[in-house]
Amino acid sequence: MNNIDIAVIGGGINGSSTALHLAKNGLKVCVIDKDSICRGASGVNAGTLTMHMTRAKLIPFAKKGWELWMNTEKWLSNNIDVKKKNGLCLAFTEEEEKLLNERSQIRKEYGADINIISKSEALKIDPNINNKIKCAAFCEMDGYVSANQTGDAYTKALKENNVEIVENFEVSKINNLNNNYEIIDLHGGKINAKKIVLAAGVYLEKILKLVDINIKIKCFPQQLIVTERMPELLKTVITVAHGKLSLKQFENGTVLIGGGWPGKGNIENGYNETIPENLIGNMRLACHAIPNLKNSRVSRVWLGLEAETDDAMPIIGELPNLKNAFIIGSIHSGYTSGPYMGKLLSEKILGNDVDLSLFDIRRLMN
Amino acid sequence: MCYKKEYDVIIIGAGPSGVKSALTCSKKGLKVLIIDSNGNSGGQIYRAPPKSYIKKSEKTFEENLIQLKFSEDLTKNNIDTAYNHTVWQVSPGFKIDAFNENGTIQWNTKNLIVATGTYEKIIPFDGWTTPGVIGLAACTILLKAHQTLPGNKIVLAGNGPLLISVAYYILKFGGKVDAIVDTSSKFEWIKSMISLIFNPKNFIQGISWILKIIFSRVPIYSNSLINKVSKKENGISVEIQNIKNKQIKKLTTEVLAVGHGLTPSTDISRLLKINHSYDDLKGGWIPKLDKYFKSSMKGLYIVGDGSGISGAIAAEEKGELAAYSILKDLKLIDETEFENNTSKVIKKLKRYEIFAKGIAKLNATPKSLIENISNNTVICRCEDITKKDIIHAAENGARNLNQIKSWTRFGMGPCQGRTCQYSVAKIASEHLRCNIKDLGYLTGRTPLRPFPLDKAIGDFEYEEITKVEAAPL
Repeated sequence: MNNIDIAVIGGGINGSSTALHLAKNGLKVCVIDKDSICRGASGVNAGTLTMHMTRAKLIPFAKKGWELWMNTEKWLSNNIDVKKKNGLCLAFTEEEEKLLNERSQIRKEYGADINIISKSEALKIDPNINNKIKCAAFCEMDGYVSANQTGDAYTKALKENNVEIVENFEVSKINNLNNNYEIIDLHGGKINAKKIVLAAGVYLEKILKLVDINIKIKCFPQQLIVTERMPELLKTVITVAHGKLSLKQFENGTVLIGGGWPGKGNIENGYNETIPENLIGNMRLACHAIPNLKNSRVSRVWLGLEAETDDAMPIIGELPNLKNAFIIGSIHSGYTSGPYMGKLLSEKILGNDVDLSLFDIRRLMN
Repeated sequence: MCYKKEYDVIIIGAGPSGVKSALTCSKKGLKVLIIDSNGNSGGQIYRAPPKSYIKKSEKTFEENLIQLKFSEDLTKNNIDTAYNHTVWQVSPGFKIDAFNENGTIQWNTKNLIVATGTYEKIIPFDGWTTPGVIGLAACTILLKAHQTLPGNKIVLAGNGPLLISVAYYILKFGGKVDAIVDTSSKFEWIKSMISLIFNPKNFIQGISWILKIIFSRVPIYSNSLINKVSKKENGISVEIQNIKNKQIKKLTTEVLAVGHGLTPSTDISRLLKINHSYDDLKGGWIPKLDKYFKSSMKGLYIVGDGSGISGAIAAEEKGELAAYSILKDLKLIDETEFENNTSKVIKKLKRYEIFAKGIAKLNATPKSLIENISNNTVICRCEDITKKDIIHAAENGARNLNQIKSWTRFGMGPCQGRTCQYSVAKIASEHLRCNIKDLGYLTGRTPLRPFPLDKAIGDFEYEEITKVEAAPL
């Protein structure tokens, strides 16, 4: 493979979005993945596009990401299901009511159009919710994506834009030659590119070591639960004040229960397993929010690995002390913001004036 | 029953293999628990009638007698039994999570024997979801455990020895077999008979069944498959096609029972990330095991047909070998006793396996069976995924089963691909012109069976569940 302008290492939502925007600007791009496009967290996350769970400082970016998701046919492809829904964030106790008021206020200050509504207003919007709620926060900017289709949609879009896709290529070495990077995989395969973008999700720590940068990337294995197909059980995307639940019903009738309840996971050998007590806790919270949910059956449980830096903020931008090397990752609510963050980084790479100072990796290096 | 929290050995599945291993372990004083989702021991092959069932006929099958002996032996040996419990999760170490009518329960053990048997392979065809179409194995359960005919007039289709045994039982119960539609040729049957000499008991049984079918003048369509089924006013219309000359014969019947062999249940071994290999003659993907059916995970054994199809008699030998291996590891038998006990069993097992492989050849899936499925036929019934959807994913670049699953949603429903995984793999491998092995197998996921949420959550106070730390803002 020759004349590659930019090689993106990691074909998740961040890497693939960056690659796609770069290719649309005429660059010759290749995306490398140890598995296949969006087969990690990007393809197995809950697909929630909510402001209620987004970290306050990232709200402006999540809003832009949300807009992109609502218009996938314009920039991605038309074979991914995205639905706009109203979002309700519920409070069940006085303590939670206080927390919800505080948090919604801060998110509002960062630009989210969130308003506190009364119990009766909330029940009017979605009569399925538990009538024991104290109050709710309402936001029109909510919805979901069928995340399992992410790989299909991005593969199609990348191919249409002539991006080279190199799958099953596990990078083991990166050589920085004169104005050129040589990327080598476990089996000795080689790819040369003028610039590189590191977008390896939870594996970023390992990949950064290959270019002599040592920072800590934490890995959170999160459990997801899905029910069998059911008649209508809820109309909105449901979250809760303390942020430990996301709940939505897809068009096919399945209800997805998420909220970041941890399982066990090991990025070294890819082994992961669920923690039954945490599954049950997550299910109880879901059934408390939507009482009728308890009449359904769980059909599948799985895990996704979320990456987080020490200060829980993303790393996006240029890598220090290296020429033509960039990074993108550890974005909280990354599925919502990923498409926009990728676009931002592509603009930076293209030489446009983009302020990414909030996400500079140097803050994490000592 | 009052269960202990911890057992020396836990066995999942109370079929012949599970029961044999339980008995062998308990004879040396180990505390054993055997779990099954059915109401009694026996597995599918010796399945007991439901407790509420009132016996309709005086006929007693040999199978029922074997089952009664199992029950008696388990009780005599003080083996704890957890019937009507469905295992939904197994974690290393081992923790076994199950549910029943009353809620959930967790048991612990250092030695786990998985004896979960097989499930039926059915290759779809146009109209296979029409009411009146059932599985051959499902038909055996109706006949043997419930002593009930699925209908008065029945067409049997598919391949392998189940065709003959189901036909025999239907005739025995006074039902009418309208036709046997077999993808294999008569020559393939004769060839497979050679291997039967390694299992004289099954040989004699098989011959007596075939004779009964011949004397009853049941029409047999060899080298043939079901092309199409459609609903009719008084039953179903079945279109039979000859694979070679493409000739079509139409029949009207009440029920079509169809099956294309069995496939090992690897739900638990896939969940525990044991390596698997592909062996068509053993039913498909099977876990990698040593000759005592011990896996690469300490204390984990996989026995019975779940370790590769070789039948009910061989299943007992496998269960026994696993039990001896555990007894040796726990120093309850010495090396000499272990060698003496196992060498005889291994010899017997080898003979049964030659027999099983011969029979398995009859279950080969001819290409025409896959080619005959029309594009709009639903392959994954849980999620309504058609042949066209699968081919579309392959065309777009999906190159393994997990990727096809992710892109199409096949295998994401309550059955988790148990019914359709093989057919999807066949369709994709034909389309991509690759070996079925290269597509891999679906990652194991919990719950192992659909898990009713009300059972899972039980009674709780809201305060109990909100002890979680709030997510950062």
